[in-house]
Amino acid sequence: MVDVARFFMEFCMDESCGKCIPCRAGTVQMHEILHRITQGEASMEDIDLLEQLAALLKEASLCGLGQTAPNPVLSTLQYFRDEYEAHIREGRCPAGHCRLAGAKEVRR
Amino acid sequence: MSVKTLHIDGKMVTGLAGQTIFSVAWDNGIRIPRLCHVGGLSDVGACRLCLVEIEGQRKLQAACMTPVEEGMVVRTNTERLRAHRKLIIELLFAERNHVCSVCVMNGNCELQDLAAELGVDHVRLRYQFPKLSVDTSHDRFGIDHNRCVLCTRCVRICDEVEGAHTWDVSGRGASSQVITDLGTPWGASDTCTNCGKCVQVCPTGALFEKGKAVSEMKKSRGFLKYIVTARQKGEWVR
Repeated sequence: MVDVARFFMEFCMDESCGKCIPCRAGTVQMHEILHRITQGEASMEDIDLLEQLAALLKEASLCGLGQTAPNPVLSTLQYFRDEYEAHIREGRCPAGHCRLAGAKEVRR
Repeated sequence: MSVKTLHIDGKMVTGLAGQTIFSVAWDNGIRIPRLCHVGGLSDVGACRLCLVEIEGQRKLQAACMTPVEEGMVVRTNTERLRAHRKLIIELLFAERNHVCSVCVMNGNCELQDLAAELGVDHVRLRYQFPKLSVDTSHDRFGIDHNRCVLCTRCVRICDEVEGAHTWDVSGRGASSQVITDLGTPWGASDTCTNCGKCVQVCPTGALFEKGKAVSEMKKSRGFLKYIVTARQKGEWVR
């Protein structure tokens, strides 16, 4: 689910026109954090930051692209928060999708 | 022209119909942070720093784009708005290479002033460190894309005041850049009149006069005002 959110954020990052700052720079930073989570390099503070960025994009973006860009992140955080935490705390991807640096022994 | 009465931050103020919340607030001594707005130019509402809360409206509105209405209750400085503004400034610092200590505008920069005003003492986001070019092909001026915040003030002043439309934005998203003509070096531009308005209007050290060292560049608003009003006042003889 983290990787699904990352995929949609990558799409929005590529589609951003660059006029307003929250969308142009915010999608880049949200994608960066999601990428770090899927790589097992993130910390729990990154989830807080992700939520703050999501609120900024939703409320401050100029057009619908930026305003809806954080939706996949917000809904996966709402319903699959345990998956995010498993990536960060245990270095494990419950869906078996991400290749995490710390997960080699587990997957073998 | 009809007069509209409204409340901004608890203060009762009046403005003319068609005036924006930003300009009415400004006239009444209420400073709303901004980066893309410049008096005398059209507004684009792109920096999102002047977002305000309007009672009865769910969405935040850009003060520079929203006309005043009778009985409006506007709040310009709430907890939520301050958090958003702070994060926007952090996004800008992380996006390109804004290294104040080696910048020609250090001490006179609008981005730096905003960061100080909003209490941005560190950036929580990861710096992107893009490799961007510096164009010094022009005789008197230079552009450092590393310092550009893409406020498009230069684009608008060149089009609307000088009428040359030398500047424009190329590309999209994080890879957008301001360009001269169709991406030719500034020095080789056919349309540039060498007037220097873009340099004076730039909020950061992106556009600078050649020969200025660290902290030596200062943008002159007086020059801009002269440029904008001199023709009407007949101070320009032509």
